[in-house]
Amino acid sequence: MLMLAAIFCPMIGGCLLALWRPRDRRTRQDYVIGVACTTAVLSLCSISTALHHPPMVLIRLNDHLSVAFQVDGLSGIFAGMVSLLWPLACLYAVEYMSREGGENRFFTFYLIAFGVTLGIAFSANVLTMYFFYELLTLVTLPLVMHGMDGKARYAGKVYLIYSMSGAALGFIAMVFLLQYGGEMFQFGGTVSVGDMNTDILLVAYVLGFFGFGVKAAVFPGHKWLLRASVAPTPVTALLHAVAVVKAGVFAVVRLTWYGFGPDLIRGTWAQDMVMAAAVFTIVFGSAKALQTQHLKRRLAWSTISNLSYVLLGITTLTQAGLIAGITHMVFHAVLKITLFFGVGAIHYKMHRDFVPDIEGCGALMPTVFACFSTAAFGLMGIPPLAGFSSKWMLATACVDLKSTLGYLGTAALAASAILTALYLTQIIMLAYFPRQNRAISVKIPKRARRDPGIRMTLPLGVLSVVSVLLGLSANSVAGSISSLILGL
Amino acid sequence: MSKNLELLVFLPMVCAPFSYWIGRAWKRGRDVFVQAVVILELLLVITILAEEATFVRWEGFCGLGIGFASGSFHSVMAFLTASGWLAATILSQEYFAHVKHRNRYYLFWLVTLGATMGVFLSADLYTTFIFFELMSFTSYVAVVQTEEPAALKAGDTYLAVAVIGGLVTLSGLFLLYYQLGTLQLSQLAQAAAQAPNRSLLWTGGLLTLVGFAAKAGAFPLHIWLPTAHPAAPAPASAVLSGVITKTGIYGVAVLSTTLFLHDSTCGTVLAVLGAITMVLGAVLAVCSIDLKRTLACSSISQIGFILVGLSMQCLLGHHNALAVAGTILHIVNHSLIKMVLFPAAGVIHLSTHSFDLNKIQGFGRGKPFLAVIMGIPMLSLAGLPLLNGYVSKTLLHESIVEYIAVAGQWSWLVTGLEWLFLFSGGLTLAYMLKLFICIFVEAPPTADKWRKHNYIASASAVTLLIYAITMPVLGIQPNDIMDGIASFARDFFHGEAPAHPVAYFSMINLKGAAISLLIGMILYLTVVRGLLMKQGGERQYWDPIPAWCNLEYGLYRPLLLFAAEVLLVTAAFVDRIGFRLLFRGLPAVCMKGYRWLLDRRGRLIWLLTGEEYVPRPSLEQVVDDPHFGVYADHPQAERGVLHSFAFGLILTGLGLVFAILFIFLH
Repeated sequence: MLMLAAIFCPMIGGCLLALWRPRDRRTRQDYVIGVACTTAVLSLCSISTALHHPPMVLIRLNDHLSVAFQVDGLSGIFAGMVSLLWPLACLYAVEYMSREGGENRFFTFYLIAFGVTLGIAFSANVLTMYFFYELLTLVTLPLVMHGMDGKARYAGKVYLIYSMSGAALGFIAMVFLLQYGGEMFQFGGTVSVGDMNTDILLVAYVLGFFGFGVKAAVFPGHKWLLRASVAPTPVTALLHAVAVVKAGVFAVVRLTWYGFGPDLIRGTWAQDMVMAAAVFTIVFGSAKALQTQHLKRRLAWSTISNLSYVLLGITTLTQAGLIAGITHMVFHAVLKITLFFGVGAIHYKMHRDFVPDIEGCGALMPTVFACFSTAAFGLMGIPPLAGFSSKWMLATACVDLKSTLGYLGTAALAASAILTALYLTQIIMLAYFPRQNRAISVKIPKRARRDPGIRMTLPLGVLSVVSVLLGLSANSVAGSISSLILGL
Repeated sequence: MSKNLELLVFLPMVCAPFSYWIGRAWKRGRDVFVQAVVILELLLVITILAEEATFVRWEGFCGLGIGFASGSFHSVMAFLTASGWLAATILSQEYFAHVKHRNRYYLFWLVTLGATMGVFLSADLYTTFIFFELMSFTSYVAVVQTEEPAALKAGDTYLAVAVIGGLVTLSGLFLLYYQLGTLQLSQLAQAAAQAPNRSLLWTGGLLTLVGFAAKAGAFPLHIWLPTAHPAAPAPASAVLSGVITKTGIYGVAVLSTTLFLHDSTCGTVLAVLGAITMVLGAVLAVCSIDLKRTLACSSISQIGFILVGLSMQCLLGHHNALAVAGTILHIVNHSLIKMVLFPAAGVIHLSTHSFDLNKIQGFGRGKPFLAVIMGIPMLSLAGLPLLNGYVSKTLLHESIVEYIAVAGQWSWLVTGLEWLFLFSGGLTLAYMLKLFICIFVEAPPTADKWRKHNYIASASAVTLLIYAITMPVLGIQPNDIMDGIASFARDFFHGEAPAHPVAYFSMINLKGAAISLLIGMILYLTVVRGLLMKQGGERQYWDPIPAWCNLEYGLYRPLLLFAAEVLLVTAAFVDRIGFRLLFRGLPAVCMKGYRWLLDRRGRLIWLLTGEEYVPRPSLEQVVDDPHFGVYADHPQAERGVLHSFAFGLILTGLGLVFAILFIFLH
C-alpha cells in the first residue's frame, strides 16, 4: 500500500496545487517541499518494507494483463535515487522559479512527475510501466514548454514527437513481451522462445531498445534532449539529467534484463547493434559537448554521452556490466544534477549562458563554483571521486567481453574521458582564471559576491558532498547495488 | 607508528583549508601556520626515516584501495620533498610579501605537498596515480599564480599535458590491472614475469609511461616545462623542478624496476629517450637568454641524465650497483641544486624585475654572498670534483662504461652514448658559465641602480646557504654520506650492493670529469662567446632558435587542432547530414506523397459528394501559429494549466485509459 501512496501522494498533491493556486510564495514553498518530502519518505519506507515482495496486482484486466506494482532491487535503486534528489530539487526550484513566473503550474507538474516516475520505478510488468512511461511524457511536456516563448514551444513539440514515436516503438516491444513472455518482470528474462523464430523477437527487442532509448537519448533519438535545455534549470537538472532520462535507461534495463532476457540477446546481431549505438553515442556526445558553447547544451551533450555509458554497461549483457552501468547511473545522477544546479545558479544570478561569458565567475560565486568544480572533477573521473570507479568497472566489463565491440567500447570510454576532461576543465579554468576580463579576478569583497540564497546553495552543497562520499565509498555502493539487483 | 604514513599525506591537505580561513583574517598568522605545518611534516618524515620500513593499506578505499609504504627510496624522496617544501615556504614569505592571492597560493601549496608525499609514499600504482593527478591539478594554481597572460598560456600547456598524459597513464594502468590483477609494487614484478601476453603488457606499460614521462619532462613531452617553470613564482618553480618532476621519475622508476625489471628492451627505450632529453635540454639551455628558462631547460637535461641512469639499471641486469647508486644520487643532487638556483633567480628578479640575461647582466657584481650561493650549485651540476654533482655523474658515467664492456656488438653505440653523456656534461658547464659570467662578471648595461645590500632577507639567505654548504660537504667525503643514501634507497630499485667502495677520486674517474669540463670550456669560449653574442655596438646575448622551431606550437597544437577538427567535422556531419537523411528525408518523402493527395482532396470530395471543398490551413501553418499549444487569444497573457495543449492531451490520454478500462472490465 505504501507504494501506491508514494505514487499517488505527489499526483494528488500536484492536482490540489493546481486547484488551490496559492498566491503566497512562502505557503507554496512549504506545501511543495512538504509533499515532496512526504513522498520521499513514503517511497523510501515502501522500499525498505516491501523489497522483494511478490507483485501486488492493483487492477486485473484479464488473465495476462494487469496493472501491478512491486519493489525489486532495480526499482529500489531507481526510486531511492529519485526520492532523495526530488526534495532537494524542489528546494532549489522554489528559489529559482521565483524569477521565471508561472510557479503554480510549474510545481503542479513538477510534483505529478515525481509520482509518475515512482510509478515507472515500482511497476511490476511492462504494461504498467508503459502506461506510466507515456504519462511521464505528457506531464513533463508543460515543464519543457514552461517559458511559452517560441523556442520553448518548439522544444516541447520536438520532445512530444520524439517521445511519442519512441513510445510507439516501445509499444511493439511491449506487445511481443506480453505475447511471448511472462506477465511480471523477472530477472533474467521471461520470454520463452519455443519454436518461434528468434529473429522476430530480436527485431522487437531492437525496436524496443531504440524506442525506450529515445528517453535515454541514445543516438539517433537524442535531439530532443538538446532542445529541451530551454526548460527552466530545475527541470533540466532533475528531469533531463536524472528522472526522465534515467526512466528511459530503466525501461531499457527492464526490457533487456527482465523482459527479453540476456540469454536471448547475447551474441546476436541485436546485441552488436545496440552496443554499437551506445559506443557511438559515447564518443559522439562528448565530441559535440566540446564543440558546444552554450553551458546547458554542453551539459546536455555530456548527459547524452554519459547515458550511453550506462547503456553500454547494460548491453554488455554480463552481470558485471549491468552493475557497472547501474553504478554509473547513480553516480552520474548526483554529479550531473550538481553541475546543472551550478549552471542554473549562474544563469539565475548573472544571466550568463555561454562558456566564454563565465570568465571570472569563480571569484564572484565561490560556493557555486566550489560545488561545480567538485562535481566536474567527479564526472571527469579523477580518482578518488565518483566517476572514476564506475568508469573503471565499465571498462573492465567491456574488456571482459573479449569481442571487438568490447574493445571498441573501452577505447570509446578512454577517448570520452579525455574529451570530458577537456570540456569541463575549460569551464573551470575560465571561471577561476579569467583571460581577458582581468579586472574581475581582483579580490572580491564579500558583499560583491553573487552566490544565490541558501535554498539554492544548500542542495548544491549537499549534493557535492554526497558525490565525494559516493566516490570514496564506491566499492560498497557497487557492492550493495549488486546485492540488490542480483539478490545475493 | 605506521599511522605516520597516512598522516604525512593527509595532514597538509587537512590543514590547507585552515590556512585559508586564518589567512582571510590574519595574514601573519597564516604564514606562521603554514610554516608550522611544513616543519611538522619534516619532523614526521624524520621519524619515518628512523623507523623500519612499514606498509599500510586501506582496502576498498576509492575503489581499488590505496596503500602507502615507507623505507628505502620512499623515505629518501619524502625527506627531499619535506625539506624542499620547508625551504620554499620560507622563501615564499619573502618573495610574496606584496602579491595578491596569497591565500589561494598557500591553500594549494599545502595540498600539493600532501599529494606529492602521497606519490612518493605510494605502495601501488593506483595510489601513485590518484595523488599524481591531484598534484597535477593543484600545482596548476602555482603555475598561474601571477595570472599574467604568459603564465596562463603556460598553465594551459601544463594542464593539457597533465590531463592527457594522466588519462593515457590511466588507460595503461587499466590494462596492467586487467592483466596482472594487482598494481601493488611488491607484487608487480612477479605478476609481470608470469604474464602470458607480452605485447599487451608492453602496451599497458608504455601507456602508463606516457603520463609519468610527461611529468618528468622527458622528450618529446617536455614542452610544458620550459614555459611553466619560468612562469611560476620562484619558490614554486623550485619545487616544481626539484621535487615535482621527480614524481614523474618515480613513476618511471617504478615501471623499470618492477614491470620491466632488468628488461633490456625497456632499458633501450629509456636510453634513447634519456639521451635525446639530455642533449636537447642542454642545447636549449645554452641557447636560452632567460635566466629561469635556462634553469628549466637544464632540468630537462638533468632528467635525461637520470633516465640514462634508469636505462643502465635495466640494461646491466644484476650488475647494476653503480647505475642504481648514480640514479638515486643524481635525483637527490639535482633536487638540492635546483632548490637553490631557482630561488636565487627569484632574488635577482625581486631587485631587477626581469629574467632577461641582457637586463640582469652584472647584477651580481659586488655581491659575493650571492656569487657563492649560485656558484656552488652551478659548478656542482657541471660536475666539478669535490662537489656532490661530480659523485652522481661519475657513477652514471661509470655505469655506461661498464655496459660498453658487456654490450658486445652494440658497444660502439654505447660508446656513442658515453660521448653524448660527456658532451651534455660539457654543455652543462657551458650554460652555467654563461649564466655566472653574465650575472657576476660582466658590466651592467646601464648605470647600476641596484641595491648592494639587503637584496635578500636573512631567513632566505640562511636557507639558501645551508643548501649551498651541503653540496661540498656531501661531495668531499662521498663514501661516507652519499654512499649511505644510495645504499639506503637501493632496495627499491632491486639494486645489488657494490662489490667494493667506489674510488671517486681515482685517475680514471677524474679523467671523465676533466674531459667533460674541457668540452664545456671550449664550448663556452667558442659557441657562447663566439656565436651567441651579438658583436655590434653593445654585446648582447641572443637566442638562435627560431620561433617556429617549437615542438608545441610547430607540431602538437596544429596536430591537436587538426584532430579536433576532424572529430568535430565528423560529428557535425553525422549530426546534420546523416540525421537529415534518416529522419527528415524519409518523412519528407512521405509528406510529399501525403500533400499530393491533400491537394487532390477537393477534387476527390467533389467527385464523391458533389460538394464544393474549402481547404483548411495546412499542417505547416498550424505549426507556425503562435497560438499553437495554447487555447487562448494571447498566448503570453494566459498561462493557466487548464489552457495548455498538454492538459488537453492528458485529458485525451485519461479518456483513452478509461475507455480501455471500460472495455476490459466488461
